[in-house]
Amino acid sequence: MTNGDQFRELIEAYALGAVDPQERASLEAHLAEGCADCAKALDEARWLVSQLAYLAPDAKPSDMLRGRLLQTVRAEARAAKSAKPAATISFWMWGAVAALLLFTLYTSWETIQVRKTIDATNEQIRIEIAKRHELEENFALAQRQAAILTDPHSVKIPMPTDSKGMPKLEAMWHAKLGLVVAGQNLPIPSGNRTLQLWLIPKTPGAKPIPSMTLRPDAGGKFMLLVANPPDSMEVTKALAITEEPAGGSPQPTTKPIWVGAIS
Amino acid sequence: MFLALLASLEFGPETGEVSADTALMKNLLRQDVNAFEQLYDRHSRIVYSMVLRILQQAATAEEVVQDVFLQLWRNAAAYDAGRGPFVPWLLTLARNRALDHLRLKSERQRRREDQTDELPPVASAPEYERELDERRRIELVRSLMGGLLPRQKRAIELAYFEGLSHSEIAEKLKEPLGTVKSWIRNGLLRLKEGLQTAS
Repeated sequence: MTNGDQFRELIEAYALGAVDPQERASLEAHLAEGCADCAKALDEARWLVSQLAYLAPDAKPSDMLRGRLLQTVRAEARAAKSAKPAATISFWMWGAVAALLLFTLYTSWETIQVRKTIDATNEQIRIEIAKRHELEENFALAQRQAAILTDPHSVKIPMPTDSKGMPKLEAMWHAKLGLVVAGQNLPIPSGNRTLQLWLIPKTPGAKPIPSMTLRPDAGGKFMLLVANPPDSMEVTKALAITEEPAGGSPQPTTKPIWVGAIS
Repeated sequence: MFLALLASLEFGPETGEVSADTALMKNLLRQDVNAFEQLYDRHSRIVYSMVLRILQQAATAEEVVQDVFLQLWRNAAAYDAGRGPFVPWLLTLARNRALDHLRLKSERQRRREDQTDELPPVASAPEYERELDERRRIELVRSLMGGLLPRQKRAIELAYFEGLSHSEIAEKLKEPLGTVKSWIRNGLLRLKEGLQTAS
């Protein structure tokens, strides 16, 4: 008898649960070693042993047992089904949270975009208002210039020049409206230099009083309005224009190009 | 007489019992109450008969049967249809539960205590197994076991229905241990040969 045969004889009794502890331990150790024949025999023996149940005298369980079992099972099935919608709700809740998050992100982005648009619009309005103010100021200046140039009380002051090729300028001074100096076809001063108006006082030895600066436009047109001259016409002997650094100078740094005596 | 009984049994083509149980167990995985109801109606009687034979008390037997079927309902995935037929597995599960109950009451046998919470392995049906309805199977098994010596049959019943070991049976029947071992082994082999012949 081989070792395998020895265990083979225990298989049916083992499946029946009838082997003593020592035999049981040795057979289980043998099975654990991977004996395929014994494993197959045990599988078949388990089925064979299960057939012994048919030796039991026939008996019928009570209807109450059936009722109790079905009641329990139905309750558990209902509980399981009611749990599924919870999972569904949970899914939809997650979906709603995701949608809410997306909506929040979208609205935040939208808010930023709207704010950018509003800011851009406000900036545009500010620019337009500034332009309007500038236009209004320019219009007011133009009106004032026109008034000075056309008012009969304005004093005309010709401003000739000694420089060759330079056009003649002309000033109109109104005691209340101010002073306008105008000319055309003026050369553009080089670099950042500009033209500056000076009021030459009648007082002997008094220094020229600095006034406004202006560069001719690209077409050589020159129109300088001094709404509030630094001094009055009565105490001013003459007007002069020099070329000065940008921003003007406190005192002339060059020889006057144009000079106009006030008669 | 035995041959006459065999001849009277109708071993026709497969009845579909196995496939029906397999289908019901698949439905049970989806917690189909109707499938559970059908499985209970198909097999509760043999399960209860066997458990009652072990426990000898109707109330306790019903308690165990209830536990077995609830375990089936709650843990249907434990049954692997690919490894063997359903009914032998269910009967093994019920027997283990009933014997556990018996041992808890008597505290007499402890050798299988570590198996109390385990589900039994699914035993594959042998090649000679043919599908029979329950009534025919009962007749065949009882006829085959009835052909054994009365004390041999008694030894097997003591092992199966009372969970006694070889030694305990020998002591109870006052027979030599070797004799009891031979009775049980030879009796089971006779049952196997009879089932093979019947198929």
